[in-house]
Amino acid sequence: MNEPLLQVTDLRKTYDKGFEAVKGVSFSVNKGEVFGILGPNGAGKTTTLEMIEGLRDITSGTVILDGINTTTDPYAIKERIGIQLQSSSFFPNLNLVELLKMFSDLYDQDNDYMELLREVGLEEKAKATAKELSGGQKQRFSIATTLVNRPIMIFLDEPTTGLDPQARRNLWELIEQIKAKGTTIILTTHYMDEAKVLCDRVAIMDDGKIVALDTPANLIQQLLARGFKPHTEVAPATLEDVFIDLTGKELRD
Amino acid sequence: MNHTFKSLKTLAVASMKMYYRNRGAIIFTIIFPLALLAVFGFLSRSNNSSVKVDITNNAHSDISQQLISTLKSISALKINEVSEDTARTDLGKGNTDLQVIIPADFGAVDSKTHALASTKVITHFNEGKPQNGQVANLIIGQVIAGFNSKINNSPQIISVDSSGVKTNNLNFFDFILPGILAMTIMQLGIFGVSFAFVSLKASGALRRIQATPIHPRNFILAQAFTRLIIGLITVGILLSLGVIFFKFHMIGNYFEFTLVLILGILVFLGFGFAIAGYAKDENQVAPLANVIQLPMLLLSGIFFSRDAFPHWLKVVTDYFPLTFLADALRRIANEGVHLTQIPLELLGLGVWGVIIFVVAINVFRWE
Repeated sequence: MNEPLLQVTDLRKTYDKGFEAVKGVSFSVNKGEVFGILGPNGAGKTTTLEMIEGLRDITSGTVILDGINTTTDPYAIKERIGIQLQSSSFFPNLNLVELLKMFSDLYDQDNDYMELLREVGLEEKAKATAKELSGGQKQRFSIATTLVNRPIMIFLDEPTTGLDPQARRNLWELIEQIKAKGTTIILTTHYMDEAKVLCDRVAIMDDGKIVALDTPANLIQQLLARGFKPHTEVAPATLEDVFIDLTGKELRD
Repeated sequence: MNHTFKSLKTLAVASMKMYYRNRGAIIFTIIFPLALLAVFGFLSRSNNSSVKVDITNNAHSDISQQLISTLKSISALKINEVSEDTARTDLGKGNTDLQVIIPADFGAVDSKTHALASTKVITHFNEGKPQNGQVANLIIGQVIAGFNSKINNSPQIISVDSSGVKTNNLNFFDFILPGILAMTIMQLGIFGVSFAFVSLKASGALRRIQATPIHPRNFILAQAFTRLIIGLITVGILLSLGVIFFKFHMIGNYFEFTLVLILGILVFLGFGFAIAGYAKDENQVAPLANVIQLPMLLLSGIFFSRDAFPHWLKVVTDYFPLTFLADALRRIANEGVHLTQIPLELLGLGVWGVIIFVVAINVFRWE
């Protein structure tokens, strides 16, 4: 295995009032993989991501992404990555093409905006403003804006929270497509099924610390090896499968 | 560097589009000053009664006679020559707007140097009608300035020609319009910028920009450029309406006037960015913007003269940025002075501009 693309070492964040949001997190992400950070609300997932992205000051620890230190060169990091924030909002009164053009210009990149919109299934919405989009469309557009600089790594913070099952599965497909093109992806989620489908490896965070880090399959194996017995027989299908079967895979937005 | 310029341009174009498509905001920024302009314009039109001035001539020199006849030829003024006592009584009763005393040494020639003795014309105005007094003061100041320049340029002290005086039609509207422009600039800067900007922040749109490689300094620069253009267009519209519909008289130079407008816009944009950069949301902007803007609106001499203030208040308000701006605009528009003659006002604005932009960049928060 080559050098990891991202190396996070003993990362900590202490806020002004003494609250420790992240208490010494270390992990590495390899090129081309989808890395998931799982955890309940308030576990420190978003703070960890934002420190890596250069959006939030690091209290201590180091982040090296593609050989660049986030603390010393945050702007160089931002040139190379794409960021989807947890609650995405865009300039009002501008349509999607104009917004994509603006973001492209901010990175000094040229793009085929319609092609970008086609990739995320929004070509019909080219003249709409971000406000006019549904939740799923907005998340897909948000992902399109992370791609304008052809990033080596994109960060998706809870991309599927609040979406209906159809939109969620549609977004999974989009994430798989981006991965297939060789882009490394870090995402946070609190849906375990999502992590299992999408992620090559996951880190489970709780109370500012990583409590487990491995492939989803290994984590399950380890749990079973500790003698864990599920409460009920695992059903061969889930209620969500029923829902999708009855309502179809078609997007509703 | 090229890259930075492209980012700046792209953000400026984007914010211009955003502003242009937000019709509501455009209407609001222009409707209030427009209403004020119309009110004062119509008031000034219907109120044709001239300003009453009592003059006491203690000099009885040729040049003092010249001054009086020049003033009498100005239609906006109604001149009465009376004794100092009568004038004081008239002013006390409110029968006149302004009392002018020409001192005994006015126009006296020094027997050795053959130069005119320097002296001061004293004026008192009716505090009950400060606008009229203000206008009369301006006109007389202008006439005397005209005399001075003529005298300095020519050895023939007595042959003063009154036809060159341009103040014939100066009225209250001419006095108030630069004030309205100054006020509009303040509101565009403080309210226009801070609310629009902070709503981008509150919605998270700024945070998304922060995720790109643009530096906050450049982001503010691009926004400032957009707002400068918007400000100039707005002020240009108001000024044109003033000229077309209410016969605004610009005595000074439009180019110099515009330079001061630009300086003023930049200073007040700085205030807007400082407030919006610091505040987290609209709820924090409103009190901050009001605390800064209300005292200036009331105390910078925009609608009424600061002469009636107690001394300490006058001294404090001397340093308000809006005072500097309104005074500079007025002196150019009403007195026809050049930029070199108002260094204090320009310096005052410049210092405020530097201070406020340093503050704005340092208190800036993306979220």
